[in-house]
Amino acid sequence: MSTVTAPAPTQAKPVAKAHLSFPHLLRSEWIKFWTVRSTAWSLSIFFVVTVALIVLISLALKNAGVGDGPPGPVEDRVLGPYTVAAQLGQIALVVLAALAITGEYSTGMIRSSLTAAPRRTPVIWAKFLVLGGVFFVVALAANLLGAVLQQAFFSDDLKLDLGDPQIQRALFGTVLYTTTIALLSFALGALVRHSAAAIAIVLGALLVLPLLFQIPWKPLQEIQPFLPGVAGSNITQTDAQVEAGWDSFPPGVAHLTAWEGYAVLLAYLAVVLVGALVRIKKSDA
Amino acid sequence: MIEAQGLTKRYGEKVAVDGISFTVQPGKVTGFLGPNGAGKSTTMRMIMGLDRPTKGTVTVNGAAYASFRSPLTEVGALLEAKAVHTGRSARNHLRALAATHGIPNKRVDEVIEMTGLTAVAKRRVGGFSLGMGQRLGIASALLGDPRTLILDEPVNGLDPEGVLWVRNLVKFLASEGRTIFLSSHLMTEMALTADHLIVIGRGHIIADGPVDQIIAQGTKATVRVRSPHADQLAAALVGPDVVVTTKEPGLLEVFGSTAEQIGDAAAAARLTLHELTPLSGSLEEAYMSLTADEVEYRSDSPVPGSEPAPGLTEEVAR
Repeated sequence: MSTVTAPAPTQAKPVAKAHLSFPHLLRSEWIKFWTVRSTAWSLSIFFVVTVALIVLISLALKNAGVGDGPPGPVEDRVLGPYTVAAQLGQIALVVLAALAITGEYSTGMIRSSLTAAPRRTPVIWAKFLVLGGVFFVVALAANLLGAVLQQAFFSDDLKLDLGDPQIQRALFGTVLYTTTIALLSFALGALVRHSAAAIAIVLGALLVLPLLFQIPWKPLQEIQPFLPGVAGSNITQTDAQVEAGWDSFPPGVAHLTAWEGYAVLLAYLAVVLVGALVRIKKSDA
Repeated sequence: MIEAQGLTKRYGEKVAVDGISFTVQPGKVTGFLGPNGAGKSTTMRMIMGLDRPTKGTVTVNGAAYASFRSPLTEVGALLEAKAVHTGRSARNHLRALAATHGIPNKRVDEVIEMTGLTAVAKRRVGGFSLGMGQRLGIASALLGDPRTLILDEPVNGLDPEGVLWVRNLVKFLASEGRTIFLSSHLMTEMALTADHLIVIGRGHIIADGPVDQIIAQGTKATVRVRSPHADQLAAALVGPDVVVTTKEPGLLEVFGSTAEQIGDAAAAARLTLHELTPLSGSLEEAYMSLTADEVEYRSDSPVPGSEPAPGLTEEVAR
């Protein structure tokens, strides 16, 4: 490294018009998102896992006989592979979303970010929108490719009627659910500022809590429909499937429709996000 | 211009910065000198709005940092080396920062060249040496071509060439009328770089003034006197604040008295003088005497002779 260069007289003052703005912050977060390796890795894993699971589970369903599936109309069971793929594929996005913010805390990058945008909360919002936008597009692409392959190989047994508004809603809901869960992980990361903690909390809430709540004890059973994963995933099913699911509930337990369930998930997201915004605004960086 | 008014930061029970007030003027390099843990970094973080003051205010050019429409072109800061995501390349880090203000990539390449990072700009920051990390931090600070520059220990980890470069850079930027606020615990570096000094110890400002003045203040006046009547002269000079030592017959060193006072005293006693030389102290000595009571982390067993011995004054003169 050789530089005792006299500081170059700043030519045409390229920064004369520079100013901080939200679109500029979005651009900055976009650059940040794509310039770390974990992004390409996690998105690739999510994409491959999602498409592969849709195809493989469709194959398994075909071989096992579609009629043996979960409750609900037989024609809706074509959706099963998408729901399962979403449950597993989301782990990659949960990790990526949490790292997008906790990585800034663990490396000290957050101080650079907040020096550039000292009002702070816009940094969180810009990241939120960039992550949400990318996750939505990637989840949509993965599920659509999965659908194309599923119909190419298994349309005899598993016919996906894309003209059916219920099927449309459930597929769109799968994309929405995946995106929202990942954003919940991001918000938790912003709140707890620690990668492992954020990822553990989200995966615990999604994968472990539902098992715990299988215990046939009334208070647990009453809460169970309101768990983020349980409530949120209603949107990935048709109304008929959701209603069929209610039959397995013990009496007196709340019945959430698809959109009500999704609203519960959004409420979790809102609470955690507000907590994260308050924390970044109030505390020392 | 940076103005702090009664700035205080408390972390739980511990007071890091205790009601300090100071002004950093544009057009010169102001050094912020103090031992480790004195509160330099905390103060700088409060200027940048990263830490919220417990009490008091600090403004840059009359406004709180967070209120600027274009923060990066107002103030550039190097607060800690490597406030950078280790997985990103230096250039991408700077691109992301520049993007927040719509600063074009042309400027990014300009600061990369200016700071000598061209060869490593595409490498991930995780593999950077301390010196390269510092250069990247300085590049980030310069990105917005800011009117005010705040640099926390900028020469840490730099090679001699880099140290010289930083010194010339900040002097040049100050000559353009910018405000430069530079912290260091290296007194010699400050003596060479700064025009003005703010000395801090244990959260208190213990000196604030031009470098020369601080040195004069902190160094006990030492005068070398040669006289054939040394013994009589010594007797005439000794007082409550004046110490006289003899190194060889006819040679005195007088502490706590100015050359003028000694000359007058000699004349009054009708004693001949052969030499009367004021010896200026070093900033190092001034600093040690200023911060002697303010050092936060002191080693328990002081090395014998580690006290700034008066005899050392002589040839350490700047």
